[in-house]
Amino acid sequence: MNPISRGIKNALRSPVRAGAIILMLAVSITLLVSMLVARASINDKINEVKATAGTNITITPAGIQGFMGGGDPLTSEQVSTIKDTDHVASITATLSDQLGDDDTDLESALELGSFGQRQQRFDSDSSETTPTPPSDETGEDGSRRIMGGPRTTVTGTTTPDNNGGLSFTSGETIDGGSGDLVALVGATLAEKNELSVGDTFTMYNKEFTVKGIFTTDNQFQDSGLIIPLETLQTITNQAGAVTSVTATVDSSDNVATVIESLKGSLADKADITSQVEQAEQNVSSLESIAGLALVGVIGAAGAGAIIILLAMIMIVRERRREIGVIKAIGGTNRSVMTQFTSEALTLTVVGGIVGLAIGITVSGPMTNSLVTNGQTTASSNQMPGRQGGPGGMGRPTNFNSPGAQIDQTFKDISSTVTPETLTAAIGIMLLIAIVGSAVPAWFIANIKPAEVLRSE
Amino acid sequence: MLSVKNLTRTYNSAEGELVALDNVSFSVKDGEFVSIIGKSGSGKSTLLSLLGALDTPTSGSIMVDDEDIAKLSLVKQTAYRARKIGFVFQHYNLITNLSALENVMLALEYGGVPAKDRKERAIQLLDEVGVEGGMRLRKPGKLSGGQQQRVSIARALANQPAIILADEPTGNLDSTTGKKIFDLLHKLSRTENTTIIAVTHDLDIAGKTDRTFKLRDGKLQQA
Ligand SMILES: Nc1ncnc2c1ncn2[C@@H]1O[C@H](COP(=O)(O)OP(=O)(O)O)[C@@H](O)[C@H]1O
Ligand SMILES: [Mg+2]
Repeated sequence: MNPISRGIKNALRSPVRAGAIILMLAVSITLLVSMLVARASINDKINEVKATAGTNITITPAGIQGFMGGGDPLTSEQVSTIKDTDHVASITATLSDQLGDDDTDLESALELGSFGQRQQRFDSDSSETTPTPPSDETGEDGSRRIMGGPRTTVTGTTTPDNNGGLSFTSGETIDGGSGDLVALVGATLAEKNELSVGDTFTMYNKEFTVKGIFTTDNQFQDSGLIIPLETLQTITNQAGAVTSVTATVDSSDNVATVIESLKGSLADKADITSQVEQAEQNVSSLESIAGLALVGVIGAAGAGAIIILLAMIMIVRERRREIGVIKAIGGTNRSVMTQFTSEALTLTVVGGIVGLAIGITVSGPMTNSLVTNGQTTASSNQMPGRQGGPGGMGRPTNFNSPGAQIDQTFKDISSTVTPETLTAAIGIMLLIAIVGSAVPAWFIANIKPAEVLRSE
Repeated sequence: MLSVKNLTRTYNSAEGELVALDNVSFSVKDGEFVSIIGKSGSGKSTLLSLLGALDTPTSGSIMVDDEDIAKLSLVKQTAYRARKIGFVFQHYNLITNLSALENVMLALEYGGVPAKDRKERAIQLLDEVGVEGGMRLRKPGKLSGGQQQRVSIARALANQPAIILADEPTGNLDSTTGKKIFDLLHKLSRTENTTIIAVTHDLDIAGKTDRTFKLRDGKLQQA
């Protein structure tokens, strides 16, 4: 036997009391573990959301969204300002237009449907605000064009392949920097018009050559056309105009800075949004839940430490005489402290194993209920109607809608027990045991062996 | 050779300073069996605790083999207790959740005996004091008072101490058992040449020792 094995043996000296101490410890460690797990899982999700949000900033002219609203497109000076802002690595500038029946020999691949009809019912009155191509300058032509069937969207962009994000069924991408009469055609539109790579079609009285056919998972985009930005600006008589700029920032840390300086330089001429900003708003409630979980961790650890501390103080006081005897027969302070630390450690480890087992089991439901309760706050933080886009009239330039993705993140926070969490839990448990032994150790050191000679 | 000079121990209590031991001087030869008598509160236990380095005197010296026990550091006091002193208490003071054998082995552990030798030596010691067979594995609660005191004597003898200090070793035992325990101590002082200093109330017992000191109000009187 040595002090350590004596301590282990002593821990179970009184089974009822040991059981009570272990039970109390187990409860606090259950709480500790589930809070640690919840915190780690939520933090993981926060980081994931922030990472998915990427480094893109979208700048649209004030008051315009997709083809809706009114106002002036961004000018080429504004585009240069954006491009020259510090930390902006690259930009994608986009101008969109819609083709009526008379603008092209292409047949639209979209059915108007009841939604489309409803959206178009104002268009005969508002034709003046729509950028009018050169061939359609008469009012009569204009209204006829608009009253026609569903329209095909043509997107002029500096990055026709969406920086590699576009997949081609045939052909290849075009140069977004050129002014050539070339086009990428959505698969649905190509099928409707029996177009393949090398074929030509007419748009605004110009003959375009099909260079590639692309598909996305979006029916609306697959019914559209992509051409170089400059080409669209020229044929629609809108030199330099763009309706959307996506700026890519060099690092996610700089997104906020870039947004700040853009807000300064563009003033109220533009709406600036970034997925990072939205993500941050969306995760702010998750962050407060994570903070709550941290309070839980600290509280549970504190409770555990106090439980073992009080238990050990009680045990040491009760065994004053025994400690005095051990010292009288030559036991060193260190040996007695080792024995009692080992006893505290045994109680903590047994309580810890029980608590860990229960904690891992309940951490899933615990995390879920934490997040569900916090989610009421979360959803109120979102901007209503902002991300969805109004159907066929939505944002034709936005290849990936950010909103839906972020919404989803709240629903699938899975609580996983990682090695890091386990290590943290075990580390905190050891800390609890050490705190629980430190004060009793001080009591032990102060017990005078002469006391054993005093009659009780 | 144990030599005590001008030993004084005072306590600070609520009613002021209390002189528990007042300028006590005496010496004891190796292997001598000395008894100390005196009324309750006369300072007997205080004297034993100073001789056993459980406590440090207010003044005076305690020379054991040319070393002044009164001047030892706390760590050296512990080592001195482990190797040179054996204690026998009125209330036996065995560790309640250790068996008789383990109690003796504990003293051997503190005395620095290698782990592998402890069990054999403990059995031998228990044999010497008459605790044998299944009794060795019993916890103190399952032993009679006399048996417990035998175990505690075995524990006191464990590290072949120079001095055994016994504070009323028979005080909790009936007179027959008390006599047996006393005879055991007496025999050991002869065979092992161990100095024994025993506090007792029993004048019969005191009469059989080599010398008897009497304490009164902390002052020593040769009886
Ligand atoms: N730790 C202490 N603090 C204060 N007074 C003490 C202490 N130990 C002993 N005394 C006092 O010293 C005196 C001698 O005590 P003690 O040596 O125990 O007497 P005895 O053992 O002869 O009965 C008593 O008056 C006792 O109350
Ligand atoms: Mg006494």
